[in-house]
This record gives sequence, structure tokens and C-alpha cells, in this order.
Amino acid sequence: MDERRFFAGINWPGTAVFVLVGLAWEVVIRSGLLEYEYLPAPSAIGLGLGQLAREGTLAPDIAHTLIAVAIGWTVAIAVGISLGFLLGLSPTARRYSLASIEVLRPMPGVAFAPVGLLLFGFSLKTEMVVTILPVLWPVLVNTMGGVSGVHPRLYDVSRTFRLSRKDTILHVILPAAMPPIVVGARISLSLALVLTVVAEMVGNPEGLGYGIVREQQALRPDLMFAYIVTVGFIGIVLNAGMLALAETVFPSSRQLRSPQ
Amino acid sequence: MECRSVTVELPHRFGRKRIIEDISFQVRSGEFLTIVGPSGTGKTTLLRVMGGLTSPASGSVLVHGKELDGPPDNVVIVFQDYSNALLQWRTVAANVAFGIERILDRTDIEQRVRDALALVGLEKNAEDHPWQLSGGMQQRVQIARALALRPDVMLMDEPFAALDAMTKASMQDELFRVRDRTGTSFVFITHDIEEAVYLGDRIAVLKGSPGRIDQVFEIGLPAPRDQLSTRQLPQFLEFRYAVQQAIGR
Repeated sequence: MDERRFFAGINWPGTAVFVLVGLAWEVVIRSGLLEYEYLPAPSAIGLGLGQLAREGTLAPDIAHTLIAVAIGWTVAIAVGISLGFLLGLSPTARRYSLASIEVLRPMPGVAFAPVGLLLFGFSLKTEMVVTILPVLWPVLVNTMGGVSGVHPRLYDVSRTFRLSRKDTILHVILPAAMPPIVVGARISLSLALVLTVVAEMVGNPEGLGYGIVREQQALRPDLMFAYIVTVGFIGIVLNAGMLALAETVFPSSRQLRSPQ
Repeated sequence: MECRSVTVELPHRFGRKRIIEDISFQVRSGEFLTIVGPSGTGKTTLLRVMGGLTSPASGSVLVHGKELDGPPDNVVIVFQDYSNALLQWRTVAANVAFGIERILDRTDIEQRVRDALALVGLEKNAEDHPWQLSGGMQQRVQIARALALRPDVMLMDEPFAALDAMTKASMQDELFRVRDRTGTSFVFITHDIEEAVYLGDRIAVLKGSPGRIDQVFEIGLPAPRDQLSTRQLPQFLEFRYAVQQAIGR
């Protein structure tokens, strides 16, 4: 991507607002306009980030959280896409399982943290217990919707060209359902990050989530916010990465319009 | 291709509704047969039966003397809603290759795609995506996709209904060119009577509920047909009047 297009692609007004808010925050804290003992100025947060990086605690924490997210998300989308596909293809299967899905879906994964702790103690597996079930739903529901929403005309076309069932699924249904599946995977990825961090806060004491809690208990708000900002930044990077991945594997998925 | 006493019933509320009844006719080789009728008489249903997408309740459809068992492999349907019928995530060339990519080898596929695109005048758009093209061009992609298969019969369900008048006229002439170059038979559904008379060697009028073939007209207009002169001929107007009357009665 040439430089001009990269710079043109940046949301300048958005970035400007962000920078202005940051500056306002800095001014407000420095001038003593607002005094919250545990709300640091952006400059303090920046210094905190530098300190964590120098101490060598930031990188391993990032690595741990990323690995947990990667594993949890991969398992969730593997199960979610497969199940979603099967449910999408079969109205009968949908009729029988929708009630169960609607019951299981609202269960907060965080509520399973104690269960995870009892089963797996302080380990990565506990984070998985908290992460996988809720992260399953966006990609499952979106896949199911995408597959069942493939336009009937495409089935007519497959039949008039005498495609086998397998070829219809591989070459027509799967690509047609890709845009909603990708959206579901992206939502699941963001959710996986959130839940992994939470699992690290209430369950397994490792990674960025634990970093937040640890610095909170150590009464170091600047370091705590440094961790929070890092989580936010990772969220942005993961989302952008997911978009780029989707764009390379399915080049037209971004420009796909819905049929008239 | 032949329909013998085809009757089709489809599920309707609490029972089955008889859509078309006792349809019998033949499609001659290289012929352009148009089917006209008021909306709702079952023209689309008839086409789907001929294309093997729907089974008749009674009667049979034969291709080269053999009864249909699902979609026959030398008959292709071209649908009215081109936007939904094309694979929007594939390029034009990949769309045209869709029907033949499992059957032929690489060089044959490339050749057929090139030929089909040349037949419809879309050689320059091979690497575009359908959504980048106009309605008329998208419909031409669908036609090219069907032609790549070198079918004996092309079944077309009001393919130009969604196009503007000028595009429609040029597409009609394009079909003539295709027919002259390939010798394919066409079964063409339309509710535009002038289009039916202009294109057809024969016109079948479908009427009533359930739909039945009311009349078949032999259109003896001179070839090659031309948008300007053919449509001015007194015989053209007579045929148009006769068909209009047959439908209206």
C-alpha cells in the first residue's frame, strides 16, 4: 500500500478529536481543575508504559493475553462456524436448537470463572472456560444467519448447472455466507479479548488483566491505566488484523453489496 | 425438447394448487419459442419444469426423447434477477466458468470463457466483478455463463424485464446473433407482446387458471429481423394484434 493511500485512509478528524480530548484531559489534571487521586494524566500513563516496558513485565503479559485470546478465539470460531453452518443448512435442526441457544446465550461467561478455578486452578485453562462459551455465540449466530440467508436463486443456479451437494456448499453457499461469517468472527475476537482480560482479573493471575488488578492493589493508577491502554491498543490491532486477513483471503468481502 | 401433457401442482395453503395443466408442445432445434401470458398463469413454473427444477404432477418433459430426471445437462435457465443469479464474489470470467469448471480442463475452460464473453461483447470486463457492471451487462454475464456450457436449449425467464428499453432492444438483437452463431434453441418467457413477436419463430400463449396453452402462433416474419424495419411491417402489427387478442380474450 503506497504511502499516499495510507495517509488518506487515516481518519484525520477522528484522530484530531482523540488528540484534543487527550490534551484536555492532561490540562484538566495538571491545572488541578479536577482532582481524582486515582485518575492520572495521559503523560503519567505514558511514563508508566515506559516503566513497564523497561522492567520487562509488559511484553510477557501481552504475550500471555494474546496467546489466551488466540486459543480461545480459534476454538470458538472452529466450533461456531461448524455448528452455525450445520444449523444454517437445516431448518429442522434450527427449529430444535433455537430454544437451547436462546437459553445458553445470555449466560455471562464471567460467571463460570469460579467453576474454572475449581476445575483448573490458576492456569490458562481457566481463562478458556470463561472465554469460549460466550465467544461462541456471535460467530455461531452470524454463520447460521449467513448460511440460511443465502439467496434461493443461488440454489436454482447450482441446480441448473447440476452441481453436486458438496460443490454447492463449497463453491456457492460458503462464499455467499462469508461476509456475515467474517463479521461474526470479528465480533467474537473483540469479545474474546474482553473476556480473557476479565478472566485474568478474576481467575488466573497472569497477563494484562492481572496486571490491571495488581497495579490497582498496589495503588499505582498510572501503571494500572498503562495496562488498560495496552489492552485497548491490542483490541485495535486485533480488529485491524482481522480486517486485513479477511480482505486478503476474500478480496471482495468488503465491497460486497447485498443483492437487489 | 418436448412437453407431454405436463401438469404441475404446487403446495398452496392447506392443499395443492394446480398451476398449469395439460401443457403439450415441442421445441424444434434452433427455434426461438416465446411464451406469453398474463401474470400469474404459470409461465415461470413451466420454465422451471422444463429446466428440471420442479417435477410435474403428471405428464413428462423429454429432451432428445429421454424423460427428465432432474436438471438435464444440455439445458440451462437464465433468470430474470441477474444480480441474485450471479456469484457476486467472483469475477465475470470466473462466473462464466462456473458451469464448466468441474467438467473441462484448464485450456478448454479458458477458451470457452473467452468465446462466451466475445459472443456477448464483454471481453474487456473479464476481470470486473458483477456489481461493478450495469444491469444489461450483468444479464449478459449470465447469458455468457449459460452459453459457456454450449447448451441445446436456453430457457430464459423474462430476462430483459428489468432493463431499460434501449438496453432491451440491443439485447434482443444480441440474442439473434448468438442464435445464428451457435444454433441453440431458445424458450423465452415474456409479458411484452412486441418482444415476443419480434423474437419468436413461434409464440405460445399461456392463459387461464390453471394455465393452459391457448394458442400457438407461427410468426412468419422475414429474417434477419431488425428493430426498425421489422417492427414497422404490417405483418408485425397483425401478429401483435392477434396475440394481444388471444391473451385478452
